Amino acid sequence: MTSLEKNGNGNESRHAAESTRGSRLSRGLRTGGETGIMRPVRGSELATNDGIATVDDPVLVTGAAGFLGPSVVGNLLDKGFRRIRCLARPTSNLTRLEKEIALRNGAGQAEIVGGNLLSREDCSRLVKDVPLIYHLAAGSGTKAFSDAFLNSAVTTRNLLDAALENACLRRFVNVSSFAVYTNRRKPHWRLLDETCPMEGHPESRAEAYGYGKVKQDELVIDYGKKHSLPYVIVRPGSIYGPGKDFIPGRVGIDSFGLYLHFGGGNPIPFTHVENCADAIVLTGLKTGIEGEVFNVVDDDLPTSRRYLRLYKKNVRSFRSVYVPHAFSYLFCCLWEKYSEWSHGQLPPVFTRREWAATWKKTHYSNRKIKERVGWKPSVPTSEGLRSYFESCRNTPAR
Amino acid sequence: MLKVAIVGCGKIADAHAAQIQRIPGCEIIGTCDREELMARQLAERFHVKRYYDRLDILLREGRPDIVHITTPPQSHFEIGRQCLEAGCHIYVEKPFTIDAAESEELIGLADRAGLRLTVGTDEQFSPAARRMRALVQDGFLGGPPVHIESTWCYELGDGAYTKALLGDDQHWARTLPGGLLQNTISHGIAKISEHLRGTSAQVTACGFVSPFLKKLGETGLIDELRVILQGEGGTTAYFTFSSQMRPSLHEFRIYGPKNGLAFDEDQQWLIKLRGERHKSYAEKFLPQASLAKQYSVGFFRNARLFLANDFHMSSGKKYLIGEFYRSITDGAPVPIAYREILLTSRIMDAIFAQIGTQAPLSPGGPGRKPER
Repeated sequence: MTSLEKNGNGNESRHAAESTRGSRLSRGLRTGGETGIMRPVRGSELATNDGIATVDDPVLVTGAAGFLGPSVVGNLLDKGFRRIRCLARPTSNLTRLEKEIALRNGAGQAEIVGGNLLSREDCSRLVKDVPLIYHLAAGSGTKAFSDAFLNSAVTTRNLLDAALENACLRRFVNVSSFAVYTNRRKPHWRLLDETCPMEGHPESRAEAYGYGKVKQDELVIDYGKKHSLPYVIVRPGSIYGPGKDFIPGRVGIDSFGLYLHFGGGNPIPFTHVENCADAIVLTGLKTGIEGEVFNVVDDDLPTSRRYLRLYKKNVRSFRSVYVPHAFSYLFCCLWEKYSEWSHGQLPPVFTRREWAATWKKTHYSNRKIKERVGWKPSVPTSEGLRSYFESCRNTPAR
Repeated sequence: MLKVAIVGCGKIADAHAAQIQRIPGCEIIGTCDREELMARQLAERFHVKRYYDRLDILLREGRPDIVHITTPPQSHFEIGRQCLEAGCHIYVEKPFTIDAAESEELIGLADRAGLRLTVGTDEQFSPAARRMRALVQDGFLGGPPVHIESTWCYELGDGAYTKALLGDDQHWARTLPGGLLQNTISHGIAKISEHLRGTSAQVTACGFVSPFLKKLGETGLIDELRVILQGEGGTTAYFTFSSQMRPSLHEFRIYGPKNGLAFDEDQQWLIKLRGERHKSYAEKFLPQASLAKQYSVGFFRNARLFLANDFHMSSGKKYLIGEFYRSITDGAPVPIAYREILLTSRIMDAIFAQIGTQAPLSPGGPGRKPER
């Protein structure tokens, strides 16, 4: 890659889109009905709060209305936190978050606040007096690299700057993804663990989300080095659970009117949303793990073939064709070459890097987070898949 | 070697960078965005050596020949003015400016400085659009156009842009004089302007908020628009913009005194509509056979273009950029006449004035333009 030079550092010329400020959400307590429904405490019990934050400290959860956010907020409420600041985008569907809060009678403990992480003013307001930040928000659902970068890296930079300025941050939990791993040149052959390198050229994979996440992780690590940011990076695998009907791309693709099953016997790095939320919350509370990376996958992972069979049996039936690894690799190789040769007449959607990251036979480990953080998945995979499939049956198929 | 710079490093800048790099004889020498990280990410991904967060430094140090302005429309005029004053030709992403007054001023500045400019209505240069233009110029219509129909739809789905737009009362697209419409209709209007005479037109417009948006509680964002136009030469046109009709068309039809033409931007077909009628029952069968033949020919033409590696998704953009650069290096005419740019701006001004989107949406207060 060409070396880069930086020029200019002022801010007089204002070229980019105006950061979107304001929202329809009120900037304060928004929800949380007092239903009186009691709910058992879930997830791993932390023997002691190791001193990162007490239950009376304010805790910020960004991306609180996403798929994972409500479970993280619920887990924090279960652990007794009383001042949870839940950041939701103006367009977010708040139903699940409101439900999680109401189930725990947590109206007074969790407030939903509107805001935009592209606004430095909003960031300053959100991090005020907050020692513990769970940063779940990310640029997902876009194919544009610039959008993903803006909503992952730029937002994270704004949040970090505000948090450092606030000077009371004790832990920044950066929620990343397996999408950042290259899955090539791994130190332990087929095993993908925390020692594996991140993708060196994320722009060459046709996954905007992964690109944004790599840049976000690089930024956090850089802030750790330069500003002694007390961070932990959590990288979940494929998060599944009720409310999200999907077949991971690691299983295959549904692009040509027929489902092409590429995964075969590969294990799918699933983590149930409740297990994942528990892992994330714990990494925010455990001392002595600053600067560490933790992968999150459940035990007893199903293979791609088994998952597809179960999905078809339990949710909906459709035709699929298994494509052996040698063929899928050859397909990606040919597509990549043609894309290069034709200067993008076919976009580089299938490349060897993408194949390695998505369909190469890989095993996963959750040993580090179990040993260092004390996490254990409380929802067994068999039970998680059962409730997940049940939820899929009750929601319209995508 | 033409030195090119890109100012504004959002989503559309990617498309510009990708197409510029396919054009021989030019090099992107710098990217610029007031958000330094955005300028940097574009530079990294497209292997551009330098990036800037200040336009004045880019212009002074980079000394580009051409600047592509891919910022939100509110800033087009000011950035365009600075670039022209620095001696740069400018390619301005659509919509050209926020109103006709700014368009006139910018074109005047370019003319006085002996520089060239163009606007990014690149859909006018897709393969089917170019074939249509050639047929019109060859006289296929049999005279000046009698009537034009331009349909330009925008699907308001659950994409990131729609979510951001609907969820944020201060979204930059809402602060445009024409709101959402201003950022979307210029492709469809520009196609009409190309075939009208003169620099003004009579406009009758009707705009409203779709039931879909009303259901979501939206009251200020007009997403349905119907327009009747009459140009100076008497040619009339209908323009339709809809967020709700399906299929979500990007279609253009033009009728002359003898024949007509129709083309679809998405599917890249061009159909000749013969004015002559067949006798008796032949009229019920032969035209359909002719249409079937034309669609078949279109299929094979598109396949041939694809196999010849000349059917990229952004081929219109590449063609427009290439022609604009050629107008600079070879002195060829600019690909989009300034008359058309002005007419498009004036038509849009008239539409927004009639449907009432023009005054209150600026954050600067009623009737104020966004600050420069």
